[in-house]
Amino acid sequence: MVVKQVEIINQTGLHARPASDFVMMAKKYQSKITICKEDGEPVNAKSIVRLLAEGIGPGTKVELCAEGDDEAEAVEALEALIASGFGE
Amino acid sequence: MQQARKAWKGNPVSPGIAIAKVFLYEPTILAVEPREIAPTAVTGEMDRFQGALAQAKEQLQELYDRLCIQHPQQAKIFAAHQEILEDEELLEEVETAINQEHIGAENAVEQAFDQFAQMLAQVEDPLIAGRAADLIDVKKRLLRILMGKQEKRLDQFDEDVILVAHDLLPSDTATLDREHVKGMITEVGGSNSHCAILARSFLIPAILGVEGITGALQDGWKVILDAVEGNVICFYEADEEKAYEERRDRFRQQQQEEQTYLCRPGMTKDGTPIQIGMNIGSDHYEGEEQAYSFIGLFRSEFLYMEGEHLPTEEEQFAVYRNVLERAKGKTVTLRTLDIGGDKTLPYMELPKETNPFLGMRALRLCLLHPDIFKTQLRAALRASAYGKLQIMFPMVGSMEDIYRAKSMVRQVQEELTQEGYAYDKEIKLGIMIEIPSIALIADLAAKEVDFASIGSNDLTQYLCAADRMNAQTEAYYQSYSPAMLRILGFVFRSFASEGKPVSVCGEMAGNPKAAAILVGLGARKLSMNYASIPAVKAKLAGMTLEEMEGMANQCLTLRTEEEIRRYVDDRIF
Repeated sequence: MVVKQVEIINQTGLHARPASDFVMMAKKYQSKITICKEDGEPVNAKSIVRLLAEGIGPGTKVELCAEGDDEAEAVEALEALIASGFGE
Repeated sequence: MQQARKAWKGNPVSPGIAIAKVFLYEPTILAVEPREIAPTAVTGEMDRFQGALAQAKEQLQELYDRLCIQHPQQAKIFAAHQEILEDEELLEEVETAINQEHIGAENAVEQAFDQFAQMLAQVEDPLIAGRAADLIDVKKRLLRILMGKQEKRLDQFDEDVILVAHDLLPSDTATLDREHVKGMITEVGGSNSHCAILARSFLIPAILGVEGITGALQDGWKVILDAVEGNVICFYEADEEKAYEERRDRFRQQQQEEQTYLCRPGMTKDGTPIQIGMNIGSDHYEGEEQAYSFIGLFRSEFLYMEGEHLPTEEEQFAVYRNVLERAKGKTVTLRTLDIGGDKTLPYMELPKETNPFLGMRALRLCLLHPDIFKTQLRAALRASAYGKLQIMFPMVGSMEDIYRAKSMVRQVQEELTQEGYAYDKEIKLGIMIEIPSIALIADLAAKEVDFASIGSNDLTQYLCAADRMNAQTEAYYQSYSPAMLRILGFVFRSFASEGKPVSVCGEMAGNPKAAAILVGLGARKLSMNYASIPAVKAKLAGMTLEEMEGMANQCLTLRTEEEIRRYVDDRIF
């Protein structure tokens, strides 16, 4: 299992297009992937509705967690996507 | 036998006139009966679900492909719907229900989608909460397929129709047959609803909020839809139809001419610039950016009225910041909370008042509840670091009101400085002019504030002591009364001599004839709903400043509203 702390830096947060991009990226990997806010419950990163319902705004610190054959690659790719600010 | 003429009133959200046959649009009724299945039937039921899923995806892809070139905004709706059908957790929820609870695919779909929609609806951000409607839309698509019901389609008619429905969803209207749908009538929805925005962008006349209309009209009946005045008329005489036909054709021609002014800068015939702004009531910007040069009124009430609790500082900050960033450098005038009167909050008990419009409304309420007011001011000031924001107070009746509101802002500014927040230290503070007692001391007020905006609806109501919601007092509610014109002229002059801007953001600003009089009286900034912009710009471009001033001066010599209206109608068409 790979776990990584990251901060959401783009202006919109994980809403609208960035949320879609995030889910789409997560789906490229076989591993079970979750995203979790501080003091929150982990939610399935491959579920757009769950992700939107979390309301992850800009500046939120989240924990990415992946478990499976490609867990390291998955976390690395998602972290890079978040760090890129989703091209905003 | 010919029935007697019948008419209904509603909210005209997209102007125009249409005469055509009614097409009653009733979304397919999808009543799902609870159904249990035998453990042996689970595999079959799963297959049904997978089949429906595949078919739904195919339909959505088809809709997307059809729209993506010409109507990319509408196409996006279907891309979002496809995304929902690929939500891993949501699909798992449906499958688990079939597998373990042994219920039918329809029941499982309904249960899972409703639950997820509920989850979204509870989110505080109204943009996300609004997406619950997409889930319901997708659910209905799946249920239609599972239950073998045809989708009622609005994309192809053989003849002209007026669409009549309880409500229209984005997916209903995205593929609308624009050639044959001549008008729209719904029972619910306001001027900012999806349906209203769509009607305006397609230039289809629409009246929303006509209670009970789906029960009153029948398929194939011919109706007149007058979305200028807000009337739906049925069983009319031939001469009425003829008169409306003429009005319709004239309106259409005029509308086409006016549309060419939409993105031109506002100015009079002789080139005097008149700034045209837009009023918004949510964080949604509609239409073309070039159509307006500022946001003259950003109503903040929606944040308070749509939620289930008072919006927190962070929630407000996120929305204000978003609005400012999307304004792309244009000035945004945020009006602080304007509730009380006819607007109440579901979660906040306000004392019953005999005369709510003369009671603890707007700024008065905010000064009574400094915590609510301060939260909003903090959020607004913090957002001011992200664009050109100015703050405006509604229901100001005296200099004391101005002093108290400004001192509240100063307190909040000090707090924010101490806490290390960035904000615009030069932020402009202004007032709504809607109470005669402040309008009549506009010369004093203009020294104390940075700008003002005239709320012509409330100003008329308070000046004439006539309730604008009361149909019986309609004749007493006189926006063109001599008193009103005098007071407007005084306000314009007072602010001009201090070199401070004053705009008009009420209904008068969006009415082309009234706009010409306002400019003649001294207005140089008008802010209105998006739909009114082309007509106002076109009217102003057709007259010189001198003509408008001459007309305004002449109006000021007249004695009754009727004389003024007649004079104006004779000169401006």
